Amino acid sequence: MSNLILGVGEFGASNDQADIVKTFALGSCVAVVLMCPKTRTVGMVHVALPESKINPDKVKTRPGYFADTGIPALLNQMSTMGCDPRGRGFIVKLAGGAKIMDPNNTFNIGKRNALAVKKTLWKYALGPVAEDLGATYSRTVSVSVTTGEITLSSPGRSDWKL
Amino acid sequence: MMEQRASKEEIIAAIKEVPLLSPSASQLLQLSASSDHDMSEVVDIVKCDAALTARVLKIVNSVAYGLVHEVTTIERAVGYLGERMVAGIALGDSASALFHKELEGYDGPKSELWNHDLRTAIAAREIAKQSKQPLSPDLAFTAGILHAVGKAILSDFLQHSSNDVLVGIDGHEVTDYLAGERELLGIDHTEAGYELAKSWELPESLQCAIRYHHRPSEAPSEYQHLVYAVHLGCIVAMMCGSQSSDSLQYHLDQNYTNYIDLSSEQLALVMLEVNDTFDTMHNAMTDK
Repeated sequence: MSNLILGVGEFGASNDQADIVKTFALGSCVAVVLMCPKTRTVGMVHVALPESKINPDKVKTRPGYFADTGIPALLNQMSTMGCDPRGRGFIVKLAGGAKIMDPNNTFNIGKRNALAVKKTLWKYALGPVAEDLGATYSRTVSVSVTTGEITLSSPGRSDWKL
Repeated sequence: MMEQRASKEEIIAAIKEVPLLSPSASQLLQLSASSDHDMSEVVDIVKCDAALTARVLKIVNSVAYGLVHEVTTIERAVGYLGERMVAGIALGDSASALFHKELEGYDGPKSELWNHDLRTAIAAREIAKQSKQPLSPDLAFTAGILHAVGKAILSDFLQHSSNDVLVGIDGHEVTDYLAGERELLGIDHTEAGYELAKSWELPESLQCAIRYHHRPSEAPSEYQHLVYAVHLGCIVAMMCGSQSSDSLQYHLDQNYTNYIDLSSEQLALVMLEVNDTFDTMHNAMTDK
């Protein structure tokens, strides 16, 4: 078993049935998990910000950083692995988008990230079948390629499944 | 119901056992808090510390900075890295045992405190540029590096308590992680850090940033812009990702708008800068 570890703004996919696809400590970032049952491929992108227009240059080096460019980039990579280029038949799950304790939601980039992710997914007629978004805790996400099972963990809390 | 695990007196006694900072780290911190100094004074301090000189040259020539020509003089190295980075290197090396220890009391891995502090420092530096009154970005950076040092002290006394505190917060038994620390130890990490800052004889501005970064409205008025910059920097760092149980378990002080002019677009740009610069600095300091 090996781990495909994705940092902030990185994306990747694996069809090696021994792999775990993993990203650590999502704060306000959102992990978008795309699973292609036909090819048994799991992809993930660690989205940090909603829209690429804030820094178009960054898109060239790290498209996964933004919701509107990260999801197309991941779909493109998965298409090279035999998956449908528009994600037809995919299972989609989302995690992350946390926030600080703030009743006025001034700093709620997590919520904006989640909305931007869903907006981009809608363009491909995709939507999440499960999500664990918001709240005030960070999340580490691990996906088993062979089972598609997603485990979430956060320091000081028991692990849970998505 | 959370049960007290240690007394404030035990924590204060532990703080008195923490080694002093190296003379060069202490002098660089003093310098960063003064408004009238120039780069030559930083160079002079570094030159008097052979280990720090070697470390600064090694970092500036690391792969992370990708320089074409090797830097061989400390003047050029300090000029390239900047005063805040040099002070950060000196501090990180001098108090390495504190900053890089495993944060067992917060279920955090080794170097988690340093990683959070470095992200906070970068964010506070960027946020300082949006201050409604002139505020030195270098000072905000240094304050960011130091702001959470109290957690290194409390961690040893908080082992296996994370879940209790989080359950207490979720059940509204305590208002935030600071209140949880006080329930368990009679002191929170801001006060513990402040006691350490006094012991290290840090400048008053840095002492205040450490003491009030989670309740900036209580800071003395002359330091409030700095303290709000660190307050927001700490929150941005947690939003960027943190592997300790207290992450995001604090309140945003809405009064920041009186001191810092930060739109949601600027906030996003600060986060972008934090992630980019953190990678460069972290890789340089760990010689990747």
